[in-house]
Amino acid sequence: MKSIRTLILACTVAAVAGCSNSYLDDTNSVDLGGSGVGGAAGSSADPRSPAYFQEAIGDRVLFAVDQSTLDDAGRVLLTAQADWLMSNTDYTAVIEGHADEQGTREYNLALGARRANAVREYLVSRGVSGARLKTVSFGKERPLEICSAESCYAKNRRAVTVLAGGLTG
Amino acid sequence: MQTGTKISAVAHGLLLSWAFLGGAFRSDPLPFEVQDVTMISAEEFDRIAGRSAASEAQPAPEPTAEPAVEQRPDPVSESVPPKARPEPTPPPPPPAPEITPEIAALVPEPPSPPQRASERIAPEPVAPPPPEARPDPVEREQVTPEAQADTPQEAQDATAPEEAAAEIVTEAEETAVLAPTRSPRPAARPPRRPTPAPETAPASETETATDTATETAAKTEDAVTAALTEAMAGARDATPAAPAAPSGPPMSAGEKEALRVAVSSCWNVGSLSSDALATTVVVAVSLSQDGKPQGETIRMASHSGGSEAAAKQAFEAARRAIIRCGAKGFDLPVAKYDHWRNIEMTFNPERMRIK
Amino acid sequence: MTRFLLCFLLGWAFVAHSAAAQDGGPLRIEITEGVIEPMPFAVPDFVPDSPAATEVASQIARVIAADLAGTGLFREIPAEAHIGRVSDFNAPIQFADWKAINAQALVTGAVSSSGDRVTVRFRVWDVFSGAELGNGLQFAGSRDGWRRMAHKVADAVYSRITGEGGYFDSRVAFVSESGPKNDRKKRLAIMDYDGANVQYLTDSASIVLAPRFSPSGDRVLYTSFETGFPRIYVLDVGKVQRRVLESKEGTMSFAPRFAPDGQTVVFSLEQGGNTDIYIMDITSGGTTRLTSSPSIDTAPSYSPDGSRIVFESDRSGTQQLYIMPASGGDAKRISFGQGRYGTPVWSPRGDLVAFTKQNKGRFHIGVMRTDGREERLLTASFLDEGPTWAPNGRVIMFARETKGARGETTLYTVDITGRNLRPVRTPGGASDPSWSPLQN
Repeated sequence: MKSIRTLILACTVAAVAGCSNSYLDDTNSVDLGGSGVGGAAGSSADPRSPAYFQEAIGDRVLFAVDQSTLDDAGRVLLTAQADWLMSNTDYTAVIEGHADEQGTREYNLALGARRANAVREYLVSRGVSGARLKTVSFGKERPLEICSAESCYAKNRRAVTVLAGGLTG
Repeated sequence: MQTGTKISAVAHGLLLSWAFLGGAFRSDPLPFEVQDVTMISAEEFDRIAGRSAASEAQPAPEPTAEPAVEQRPDPVSESVPPKARPEPTPPPPPPAPEITPEIAALVPEPPSPPQRASERIAPEPVAPPPPEARPDPVEREQVTPEAQADTPQEAQDATAPEEAAAEIVTEAEETAVLAPTRSPRPAARPPRRPTPAPETAPASETETATDTATETAAKTEDAVTAALTEAMAGARDATPAAPAAPSGPPMSAGEKEALRVAVSSCWNVGSLSSDALATTVVVAVSLSQDGKPQGETIRMASHSGGSEAAAKQAFEAARRAIIRCGAKGFDLPVAKYDHWRNIEMTFNPERMRIK
Repeated sequence: MTRFLLCFLLGWAFVAHSAAAQDGGPLRIEITEGVIEPMPFAVPDFVPDSPAATEVASQIARVIAADLAGTGLFREIPAEAHIGRVSDFNAPIQFADWKAINAQALVTGAVSSSGDRVTVRFRVWDVFSGAELGNGLQFAGSRDGWRRMAHKVADAVYSRITGEGGYFDSRVAFVSESGPKNDRKKRLAIMDYDGANVQYLTDSASIVLAPRFSPSGDRVLYTSFETGFPRIYVLDVGKVQRRVLESKEGTMSFAPRFAPDGQTVVFSLEQGGNTDIYIMDITSGGTTRLTSSPSIDTAPSYSPDGSRIVFESDRSGTQQLYIMPASGGDAKRISFGQGRYGTPVWSPRGDLVAFTKQNKGRFHIGVMRTDGREERLLTASFLDEGPTWAPNGRVIMFARETKGARGETTLYTVDITGRNLRPVRTPGGASDPSWSPLQN
């Protein structure tokens, strides 16, 4: 898990350096990092860094059971994400929607897409260009927490904004 | 004794003819009549309900009247149907004691009673919630029958002390320790108490009976019953079967019931296709005097409800039932050989169907 | 009460009377109650024509017995209990020996082997009547294919006794799972219905979901995240070659299934957060939209005649089942019980729809008629999901996942009566089963 996160960070860093297509190469990598501990040393202090976006701003919003509407906390967080994206126009993002395991596979895939789209629409409404934002749903395929209890489910019902390097053709 | 028996037999015969001929006597032989009756009684139920409280002590737990339940799937009717068919009614004394053991026999199936209840209620949509217990995987299947539509039967296997039921239980057991519900399809119905009595006489009386007449009927009945039983018992010991005409008195309800139960216990429909389970076959068989079916005489007299192929499978299952359970000879009164030398058995799986 | 008794007595009068009235005719009785129990059968080892065939002859008999016993409709009487021996396929059967151990059905057979060719002959007997069920039959094939020959024999035996088609000579496509829940590796795999002969069709680099067999069993549709986004692929099972189906940039496509024509694919397409049902001609790639509600419409499945589609939708507020014409148009809701209903699958017989139901925190596999009547739940657990029908419409396979961090997925089969729930042995975890049609 740790290594995956490192990998993603590495990718992102690479992307910043101009390796623009790389985020699609490791297609199954999902951002599994928690929002707690700082990963790459020092970078989260830089407000222009992806690490700052991920940790200081927060890269994910959570949803209620079977819902895809944003709550107040979610809107506040997404407003900050939008501001960051507006001032760091080199980045694009893929918004990943997820669901908890209480649901059938297809439905959860569709539900995750709704969540991702809710985030996307909000960011667009705050001025971020739609061309910079893609959505994808993993349904219940990639839970963050793996216990079978609401405490875990709550963290799994999420939409995560994963930054990537500049616009690709 | 011989003379006494003869007298008794003659008296009995007279009594019978009086009973039959006396009451505007129709001759439709359809065994289905039984069901019709239960349906009627179901209607009656509402009216009776109040009164029947008193007779609660009756053989209630018997599963009974299918049609009744079907008609009124609400929970209330559930508790009711039992009364709807007080089979052993008139002579109440024997049933009571008999029943207790029956119930006792059921006890080993603890989960049954509650499930049944829910099964019966379940019309279509709502399946009762599964139990809280978190059984290990294998066990869970049990929830199944809940939503089953043809529930009434299920109730029956609850009360079925027959060995077949026992076997199903063991099979279910592998899968069903904690499980709430079990046993998918109904097992055999408990053998009815071979009520010796209600025979024909009292019945025909009632045929013409009016409300006022009923009381008398009920009273006479005991006497008649007693007489009949005695007569038949006598007849049994007596007569060697005269080969010519039907000898001895006709088969009693109890005797027929015993045969029915004997065949039922070997009639395994578990491996039949849904098509075959929708096919009623009439199977003709001749028995030798020792009650053993003569294999080569077993044939399908007719079938209805399914394709030829399905009828073939249904017939094969019926044939197996007859041969297997008749292997040692059915227990039939030799004196009445001519009455049971040729038998037509209708195997109607309607109530065993799973669709 | 008296009236009541009257009715009752009246009934008895008729019954008893009917007998009495049959002067000289046959005694008539009606049997309406039977038993339901597995039918005991015996499959003595098939007779080999040469020492070279001895092993395979025995293996074939074992597979036949396992197939039959696995249905729950039959119970094998093990060889140790046999009194009789079958050492000559053509010799008359000593039925008494088999009656004595209460074998009701007997399967006898012979196997001959020459080079790589194996030939299997068999007969099915109704022991108690001494009659043969059907006629002797023979299958021939390569030695490697002995399992399939055994399954074919078992299908024939099953069919002759029960009157319905078998399902043993069939395969199951599924997703093989390994690793922890938050980093699960998924591979597309295929196996015999009984878990033998597992082959992997993809590696574990990408998430793969829900394979679905074509009507002829030669191809499999599935969803893969290979590009980072869910898209539908079609894979030729024989050649293990795949290609991605057309899809529009910025959309997700998933939940594909073949129409009975093997040419049309029905699937879900998500665009802008909304999921609808579309069909596509698999050759031309041309698509047609079938639903356009602002709800999640997914998990479509065709009726066997191809005229209708059952699917799930949350248009009412919760996941429920609907049926619409295959060309789209008015959808009629069929599920009305408590809870949520998803993943409907039309039975090959056309009479039932199998589904996943969630209610009060538990999952069930169930069946209902296509008009929603007679709902019957077959299973209950923490998470049961994704039913698929055996070719004969009598058995359902599905995936069960256990609770918790170390939860594992296992395939199970269950009879549509709800009896005979059994795990399918797979190497490692398995989910998303899809049962093939019977092989030729």
